[in-house]
Amino acid sequence: MAVAAETTKWSRRRRLTWARAGRASVPYWLILPVVAALTAILGYPIYSLVRLSLEHYTLFELIQHHGQYIGLKNFSSVLHDQVFWHTLLRTVIFTVVNVGATIVGGTLIALLLVRVSGWVRILVTSGLVLVWAMPQVVAVQVWYWMTNFQNGVVNYVLTELHIGNYFEHDWYQTTFSQLGLVTALIVWGALPFVAITLYAALSQVPGELVEAAEIDGARPWRVFLDVTLPILRPVLLILTSLSILWDFGVFTQPYLLIGQAHINPSNYLMGIYLFEEGYLKTDYGRGAAISLLMLVMVAAMSVVYVRKMVKIGDVD
Amino acid sequence: MRSRIFVAALAAVALGVVAATASAGVQHAQASKITVWLQVDAQSGWPDVVAAANTQFQQDHPGVSVDVQYQNWSDHLQKFDATLAGGNTPDVIEMGNTETTKYMAAGAFADLTSYKGTFANSSNWLSGLAKSGMYGGKIYAVPYYAGSRVVTYRTDVWKRAGINKLPSSLAQFNADSKILAAKNKKVKGFSPVYVAGTDWYFAMSFVYDYGGSIARTHAGKWIGNLNSKASIAGLTAWKNFFKTASKAPATSDETKPAPYDVYSQGQAASIIGPGWFSCCVGAKFKTTTAQFVMPSHTKGQPMPGFLGGSDLAVPAPSKNVALAADWIKDFTSTSAERSLQAKGNIPNATSLLGTSVNERAAARSWFVPAAKHWVDVENGNILRNMLAQILIGKLTVQQAASSASDNITSVLNGA
Repeated sequence: MAVAAETTKWSRRRRLTWARAGRASVPYWLILPVVAALTAILGYPIYSLVRLSLEHYTLFELIQHHGQYIGLKNFSSVLHDQVFWHTLLRTVIFTVVNVGATIVGGTLIALLLVRVSGWVRILVTSGLVLVWAMPQVVAVQVWYWMTNFQNGVVNYVLTELHIGNYFEHDWYQTTFSQLGLVTALIVWGALPFVAITLYAALSQVPGELVEAAEIDGARPWRVFLDVTLPILRPVLLILTSLSILWDFGVFTQPYLLIGQAHINPSNYLMGIYLFEEGYLKTDYGRGAAISLLMLVMVAAMSVVYVRKMVKIGDVD
Repeated sequence: MRSRIFVAALAAVALGVVAATASAGVQHAQASKITVWLQVDAQSGWPDVVAAANTQFQQDHPGVSVDVQYQNWSDHLQKFDATLAGGNTPDVIEMGNTETTKYMAAGAFADLTSYKGTFANSSNWLSGLAKSGMYGGKIYAVPYYAGSRVVTYRTDVWKRAGINKLPSSLAQFNADSKILAAKNKKVKGFSPVYVAGTDWYFAMSFVYDYGGSIARTHAGKWIGNLNSKASIAGLTAWKNFFKTASKAPATSDETKPAPYDVYSQGQAASIIGPGWFSCCVGAKFKTTTAQFVMPSHTKGQPMPGFLGGSDLAVPAPSKNVALAADWIKDFTSTSAERSLQAKGNIPNATSLLGTSVNERAAARSWFVPAAKHWVDVENGNILRNMLAQILIGKLTVQQAASSASDNITSVLNGA
């Protein structure tokens, strides 16, 4: 089909007049401001970032407003840094767990929303929107209180339920526990968006299709896999990709919940590693190099996503 | 994504450069305003001293207003870095005495050597503070005030436990802690002496008390010294004390929660920290709170405490160095320092020292290594991480100290 469109375009081109050429160029004129704006707000900073990454730029150079060109030394120092690779691995695992939990949890809530009665749906949706509306910093503080060593409500409830003695349980003692809390916080905060979006997508699933499948004797799980899931796929793909982008570079929640006093190389995530190396150690050149490496990784992930999107478009 | 912040920072840099060059042409001889960055301590503790300095300054310089902006310890350096990049720095900035070296080395501050004579008591400045404001023989920062760490305790609780004499040695303090713990078993989460697990200011006092140190210099290089015999002995004594005295989680730090909050809720018989902790012990305990000097393991001596303090500096890009120096003069006048002293701080000069518990505690003190990269050791939480590992028991004192020591060596030498 694409090939057919291509040939008709070519045969028409021979008959182009000036007026037609003018009209044909209108879309390009319309898109020009956007391209110009993107170049200005994205292109120039990225150019500066690249330049900064090739310079020795610390506090001294910051005051002089002038860096010293050192080629690829920042990149090689980052790539030879054990901490970088450990952090990358930790961040990848962290992202997989967070995105997985967010998408699965969101899907389950969305499926639930379809089945419950009207007032329950309103109640659940309101709850979700409230979670969604809570600023990240406030949420972090609430979670911090809930997990307080002596007075945390989580510790209290777990102890009262006889799950164990959680009075004076230190949730911030191990990296696993620290990042576990951060995961819980991030998934909790991300669920509403995923659930509500998927709920909207589910309303696109034609009831007749499901009914037909059920009449044909398909079990609920099969109906979900063969009827519901294919229709949800484009939306799921977008949500998964967005979640990966968000969770891979996450900063606010881990930095604030774990707390500056407990951030150290054993619990770094990429965003925090970048902050520590670039800002706290005031080595901006190195920070720029890390940031560019992250940019490349995220761009690589986005390529997969964009290609899939294009393929889905073709099928339609 | 983090790169976005970088992009924003870069854009800010670019804008700042443009603004700086644009405004350079229209600089007037007399500014109409100077900007002062002070830490929140002044806002909550002594706003009257700030107001008095401003009044004096405005009498001397009619038409020049003072814009005092209060900053937090946790992020004031990042904010300052951003203004250095943009060229819109404040005219006066308060710096912690552990933070100054890196900035002086990078040329971030204006040379104030020629103004020294104008500052009150400048020939008697506390040496610990004065040193933190000097680099290469020049003065870049003026001592503001210092503070030592003392034990703040509940006289009623101690008396009820039958302790009538304050401990004069560490061993005695340990024994008293056990008695206090036994007598207050019924209070949930009660600490005889609450200190945070990763309060490194406190833990390092033990290291210095036993003759150890954080780092030493050898042939022009820094060498981490926490793995020395004396340092290990200090860390072991600290661990023993913590285990008997404090119920704080191993990973807690001295700001979350604030020790005086634990105290004011009745969950501690004593707390250890800056002398001004007495400010916030709660109305209920105001009359039954007193302070004493933390005892050394050597009977009759105080344990060396961290001499924390603040300096005032003028950022190099400031266009109002003379005005800024004049404001600093007003803010560190003898009467201003006396007011700070009255609030439980240590004034900036030996000639002003009194006999308060805070000032007696300062008789023996220690200070962080005067290395350009020290602040990276602090920000990298190397010490905190070591302390937490020791308390959790993941590593022995020896293992944790060795690994931290290697780390400190590499950071201090700029690796």
